[in-house]
Amino acid sequence: MLFNTPQFFAFLAVVLIAFYCSPRSWRRIILLAASYFFYMSWIPKFILLLLALTVIDYTAARWIARTESPRSRKIALIVSLSANLGLLGFFKYYNFFAVNIAHLLGKPEGSFALSIILPLGISFHTFQSMSYVIDVYRGEQKPIVNLIDYALYISFFPQLVAGPIVRAREFFGDLYHWQAPNSAEVLRGLLLVILGLAKKMVMADQFAQVANNYFKDVAGHPGLLAAWSGVVAFGIQIYFDFSGYTDMAIGMALLLGFHFPINFRRPYLASSITDFWHRWHMSLSRWLRDYLYIPLGGNRHGRLMTYRNLMLTMLLGGLWHGASWNFVVWGGYHGALLSIERMLGLKRAPEENRWTSFYPIRAIFTFALVMIGWVFFRAANFHDSIYVLQQMFTGNIGSMFLMRWQIDLALITLLLAFLEEKKAWFERIAIGPAWAYGAVCALLLLSVELIGYTEAAVPFVYFQF
Amino acid sequence: MDEPQLPIASARRYIGSLAANSIKVLPRILATLIFFAAFEGVIFHTRIYPSILEPESTAGAMETQLNNEIKRPKLDRNQVLAVGHSRMALLPRVANNMQPSTGYRFASVGLGGSTPRCWYYELRELDPTARRYAAIIIPTDDFNEPDSYDNLGNRDLDIRYLIARLKLSDLADFPWSFDDRKLKWVAFGDTLFKGYVYKRDFIDFLSHAKARIAKVRQSDQYSAGWFYDYGGPDHSLAGLQIDWQHNVAHFPASFTPQQRQLIEDVLFQPRPPDAGQLSRYLHHWYGRILDHYRGSGTKLIFLRVPRAPMPPPEPPPKLNSAIRQIASEPDVIVLDEHLFDPLERTDLFADPMHLTAEGMNRFSRMLAAEVRRVLGPPKS
Repeated sequence: MLFNTPQFFAFLAVVLIAFYCSPRSWRRIILLAASYFFYMSWIPKFILLLLALTVIDYTAARWIARTESPRSRKIALIVSLSANLGLLGFFKYYNFFAVNIAHLLGKPEGSFALSIILPLGISFHTFQSMSYVIDVYRGEQKPIVNLIDYALYISFFPQLVAGPIVRAREFFGDLYHWQAPNSAEVLRGLLLVILGLAKKMVMADQFAQVANNYFKDVAGHPGLLAAWSGVVAFGIQIYFDFSGYTDMAIGMALLLGFHFPINFRRPYLASSITDFWHRWHMSLSRWLRDYLYIPLGGNRHGRLMTYRNLMLTMLLGGLWHGASWNFVVWGGYHGALLSIERMLGLKRAPEENRWTSFYPIRAIFTFALVMIGWVFFRAANFHDSIYVLQQMFTGNIGSMFLMRWQIDLALITLLLAFLEEKKAWFERIAIGPAWAYGAVCALLLLSVELIGYTEAAVPFVYFQF
Repeated sequence: MDEPQLPIASARRYIGSLAANSIKVLPRILATLIFFAAFEGVIFHTRIYPSILEPESTAGAMETQLNNEIKRPKLDRNQVLAVGHSRMALLPRVANNMQPSTGYRFASVGLGGSTPRCWYYELRELDPTARRYAAIIIPTDDFNEPDSYDNLGNRDLDIRYLIARLKLSDLADFPWSFDDRKLKWVAFGDTLFKGYVYKRDFIDFLSHAKARIAKVRQSDQYSAGWFYDYGGPDHSLAGLQIDWQHNVAHFPASFTPQQRQLIEDVLFQPRPPDAGQLSRYLHHWYGRILDHYRGSGTKLIFLRVPRAPMPPPEPPPKLNSAIRQIASEPDVIVLDEHLFDPLERTDLFADPMHLTAEGMNRFSRMLAAEVRRVLGPPKS
């Protein structure tokens, strides 16, 4: 059940009605049942996996909190982390390693491979579970007593599949001090759901057609223009796809009285790669910082160790996105750029200097660097990645993949992003007069109706992670 | 969610917050709906968007035909209009050359792929008062109306043909005229949200806006003349032999594999057992057309188009077919079933379904003369 289908909106309407029409004591059970129903609408048997991880992490956290013995606490932590990383590793990375081992042993690629289906949202809910257990271990989070509450934290349907990765204290803060959303929150939630839908169907799915056409046969479309337009189309696709999903998730959560952290802040306006990672998939960046980069030592042990930690964090962050060397290269590429920026002392452009003459150059340069990174992310294999990069820099002119209206659409969204950066129009409209709110929502809905890709419900890109 | 709740206090607070929220939320939801309806209504439920439709698209082709016919000067009521699909072989130019002897002016809005459901809505648009035409010519493929696997009741292409002409008041009946339950709702949604149906056309317009406008202008200016001067295809199926008994075609060596395949697919197409599905469909739509013209004085002339390049076997007549049932209605004229049998010749067919230029010429002359005969002299 994808967010961009009528079935999902019918499901959401039923959940909202059931939630608000029932006594408060029933509401978390209603949300848990809805979340499990949502999860099982894909492959029902994987609910057992979700239930098993829920029980293991719930028990481990309780055990950690109850016992005084450091050894027991550590064992509980290790059991929990092993269960999460073990299952994630098996489902997501088994075939990656199997293929590479077969390659090393000179055997056919499929010698050790298994037919494995990746359970929905496993990368997200395992990271959420691990953060909870680690926080309990660090004493930063009290263990959750009620199993239903904990199960809801792990399975809450708006963010179950592709985040944002919500910290336990944020979620339980909302759950235990639940307040019905006020009118501003309801309006913001509705606007976010509509905006997310428009981002997904109008931008992501339309540009996906361009990117898919290019990347399915890169050798068939030589030339600089073809390569850049194909890569930029993918850059637009992945941003609008993921941020569209996140907007819908945040909006739906708001309608249910929960407050998720923002996950994207106009990343393509970043003035450096460091700035980019403060704007792109912010909940993952935060997770990697708190549970990987800082535990590795962060920037506390000198320059070289800082670069090493950055590289390790980004390599693992890359691998988190998918089991392929391409993702490792993508992570390594960003790690290297972050290290170089740190080496050169390049920091994020201060907000007040955002509109100085250098900012546009920095933003365009950063955008180009990010696009180069997407080549590894999207290309079918390393060979294709190298070919596309060659075409981007040394190819003949070739022909443009993007059509005029798509370029116009991209420029309009760029303008809207600038306005949001400078004037926060979205926030103003969410609390603005009824006519402005209505006109914007209507235009967004009209764009979905007229330009939204509706040949088929296209799955969200991050669902596969 | 954890604090203990006194049910009445909780309910009061809940209702209170709901009311407070509603004051701000409802006007904005209402504004969204009003703006959306206004945008959608102004652009797509008026003549604004249909006026820039791609003339060669399904909806655009229909619009071109209807607009040309609406704009055509009609000096009197001695006008005869043919509706139909691509097999309606009337060439108005040829029929009008006989105007001195027939006294009638002929026009055609025949459109390939259109169905009786489309014809009803076309006529409603062209002749809202049912006073413009002396007669309407309606073709049928076979008076026995055998069912086929292509159920016209579920022809979703009809939505695209008619989208520019459907009104909100059609929500009451157009969607429900489809047999399939899912399709009924698709048609309902499409009639309500026309922008969704125009999506491909709209994106194409965004891609080539200038070229589109130029093409639309050219079509507006010249298409009536192009259609009027159309002569029909020159090539024929001469030399083709058909053994209807064994469903075998013998082709001259010059026929391409694609031609042979098309001929076999069309002429020997398997049919399901006849359950009267097509007859029920035709009965409904012929009935709607009949109701539109009831008491108006306009005659409805039904004819059987030339069926195949060689006369196919004649099964026993199906007496309860729609065409035979409405034949007895006042103002309905059913032309002799075999009137156009002489045109069922390989040298007069360009493909398994359509006549050649010569076939269309003969058909048009025969039809004009027959219309004159059945209508009698025109009213002055």
